[in-house]
Amino acid sequence: MSQGNLGIEPEVLKAIYGQMARIRAVDKAIQAGLSAGKFMFTYWPMTGQECIPATISQLTTERDYMVTTYRGIHDQVAKGVDLYGMFAEALGREDGVNKGKGGSPHISDPKSGSMVTTAIVGAGAPIANGLAISAKERGEDRVTIVNFGDGATSIGAVHEAMNLAGAWQLPVIFMCQNNQWGEYTRIPTYTNSPNFFGRAEALGFKGVQLDGNDPAAFYKGMKEVVDHVRAGKGPVFVEAITYRIGPHAGVGDNYNATKEELAAGKERAPLEKTRALLLEAGISTEEELTALEAAAKAEVEDAIARALESKPTPPSETIVDVFADPDSVPQRGHFPVREAEGELSGDTESISMAIAVRDAQHIAMTNNKEVFILGEDVGDPQGGVFGTNKGLQTEFGDRRVRPTPIAETAIIGAAIGSSIAGMKPIAEIMFVDFLGVCLDQIANHAAKQRYMSGSATHAPLTIRMQLGGGMGGFGAQHSQSLEAWLTHTPGIKVAYPSNPVDAKGMLLSAIDDPDPVVMLESMMLLYTLKGDVPKGEYKIPLGVAKVRRPGKDLTLISYGYMLNHCLAAAEEVAKDGIDVEVIDLRSLVPIDYHRVLDSVKKTGRALVVHAAVEFCGLGAEICSTINEELWGKLKAPAMRFGADYAPMAYSNAIEFSQVPTPPSIAARIRAAVKS
Amino acid sequence: MATTLTLPKLEMSMSEGTLAEWKVEDGATVKEGDVIYVLETNKTARDIEAPASGTLVHKAASGETYDVGTEIGEIV
Ligand SMILES: Cc1ncc(C[n+]2csc(CCOP(=O)(O)OP(=O)(O)O)c2C)c(N)n1
Ligand SMILES: [Mg+2]
Repeated sequence: MSQGNLGIEPEVLKAIYGQMARIRAVDKAIQAGLSAGKFMFTYWPMTGQECIPATISQLTTERDYMVTTYRGIHDQVAKGVDLYGMFAEALGREDGVNKGKGGSPHISDPKSGSMVTTAIVGAGAPIANGLAISAKERGEDRVTIVNFGDGATSIGAVHEAMNLAGAWQLPVIFMCQNNQWGEYTRIPTYTNSPNFFGRAEALGFKGVQLDGNDPAAFYKGMKEVVDHVRAGKGPVFVEAITYRIGPHAGVGDNYNATKEELAAGKERAPLEKTRALLLEAGISTEEELTALEAAAKAEVEDAIARALESKPTPPSETIVDVFADPDSVPQRGHFPVREAEGELSGDTESISMAIAVRDAQHIAMTNNKEVFILGEDVGDPQGGVFGTNKGLQTEFGDRRVRPTPIAETAIIGAAIGSSIAGMKPIAEIMFVDFLGVCLDQIANHAAKQRYMSGSATHAPLTIRMQLGGGMGGFGAQHSQSLEAWLTHTPGIKVAYPSNPVDAKGMLLSAIDDPDPVVMLESMMLLYTLKGDVPKGEYKIPLGVAKVRRPGKDLTLISYGYMLNHCLAAAEEVAKDGIDVEVIDLRSLVPIDYHRVLDSVKKTGRALVVHAAVEFCGLGAEICSTINEELWGKLKAPAMRFGADYAPMAYSNAIEFSQVPTPPSIAARIRAAVKS
Repeated sequence: MATTLTLPKLEMSMSEGTLAEWKVEDGATVKEGDVIYVLETNKTARDIEAPASGTLVHKAASGETYDVGTEIGEIV
């Protein structure tokens, strides 16, 4: 048979089959190991879907980025992830590509271009956009391919990502491996859509449906797609039709399918069909194929045998890879001394925190052309809803200051992906109350990428969020203090400045930090509080608290806008002869327990005050540490004071009483000093 | 090298399973890929294939329910 009839170069078809055979050998070995009880890990079989990555492997190189899912072992094998490292990872061993910390659903192997693997349905798509941004901005001809399932088309993250990719014409391929099943549920139970590729056109870019089980047709279709995206003509959505022969998880057959359906699925399965085609077309002989399959099996057996020799990743690794520096991890009994900033000198100017934040971004953008801002309305003339970016788009252009769709998941995902590729994005989220619509990206992806990848990759993005509380009139969904949502998630640093000087210096630290940092900016401070801010560049280190007012009777610990209420309360009680030391935490993670405990050792009393709800707030954590560490040296137990357990009220009368105020803080101080 | 057969964990939620039936007699020869026993979980019955070739040794009775990880046999 001639090449014309096949529609694909014989050598390419052979190479595709070679990858399919490697994938099958891996699949079989895992299923055998699980059945024998030799392995104990969760496996999401991709049997029947081999053709998709095997074909893509002939159109891409390790320079191209890939993002995939838990059901992605076939993608990893074809992308070129070392099998030994992959098996050791799946087994939780220290020689795993990710030190056994991520496991098979979280492979990250930048050497082969397998950047992120997520077990959160649809969540890879927003991150893929970020990888694509980096390629586009750097003028690289890499394409980013993000794999996900048919079921994932129902989740918001995929829609948000597709819309952003269309708006920004990103070099990304949305590879929907339509295996007909979303876990145990299928079309049309979960969608009335006639297809998925049609959604791309609705968002202004190209969508195609291809037979993902036919290597010749899929190769031809994908070649056009990859060429289109590589040439910078924008994203493409590919709906690759295939069939999941296995169960959602585990081994064996898809027991949710009817016998007839499963039989039909097996009939159309690509591996056997491709093998037959190679023989029929006279491209390969039976001996050649048998040898190729034997080689694949031997490669897999060798990888498994060696992986089983690797040691299980030990508990001594627990806090390694949470942050770049393990000393940033809050640990019982270990309170590292971090060096404070020196005396800030030079010319100052009296500016608001909004201008201080703007200036910090201006400096960072001038210093490093890979720093860019993205968020809703961040462009000029308004420069963000709070004006913190005013003039920056005019000066640096619309590639470096990017107004986004109203899509917080897409914003954070784009920032994560570009930061993984080494850029320095600053994502602005207008209100911390919108954390709920991007928390998965922050908590499951930004915060965990370093850990899950054993530091193979990490996401050093900066997120700025504004808070509306304490001003009155913003209501329950625009006035919250949600820092505890963030501090309770290992892997994310949190800065919450109380004044313009710290805001500028801490933001510059955050942008340069090797870990993801969220900086919280209180609206109350953005405009109302001016400070004498040093001109030019300086940094305030993260994790260093500062004594704002020395005193000897009680240590008042706070942060953010509440710190200023604490200073006012301290002056109030000073009239009664109570001398309060006020400590500004500045960073919540890393936390400076060293300076907090030092102060409380001296005063013997502590009160932690925050605008956040008291119940399960940061105050409880800090008080507990103080009480445990200094028990016996305290004149009274450390106490906390936060907002009442209620949503923030619209009524000013309620809001101003439900959150601590200078008079109510003063009352608590007096009570504490009496005890 | 002998291959130990332990009761496999086939599903995330699986903690035990019933060895419904040995499909190959104790001491018989098996080839890799032959169905050797039927495992019942709360979802379905599955045919479990021999992970290696050799002589099958039963170490657990059929009709009983075992915890995941219990040694039920060996291929020597
Ligand atoms: C956000 C989220 N919701 C639910 C799940 C549980 N879950 C895991 S896989 C899966 C099915 C996904 O189906 P599809 O996108 O078609 O991918 P496939 O597994 O078929 O490759 C579900 C619901 C999850 N991991 N993440
Ligand atoms: Mg599916």
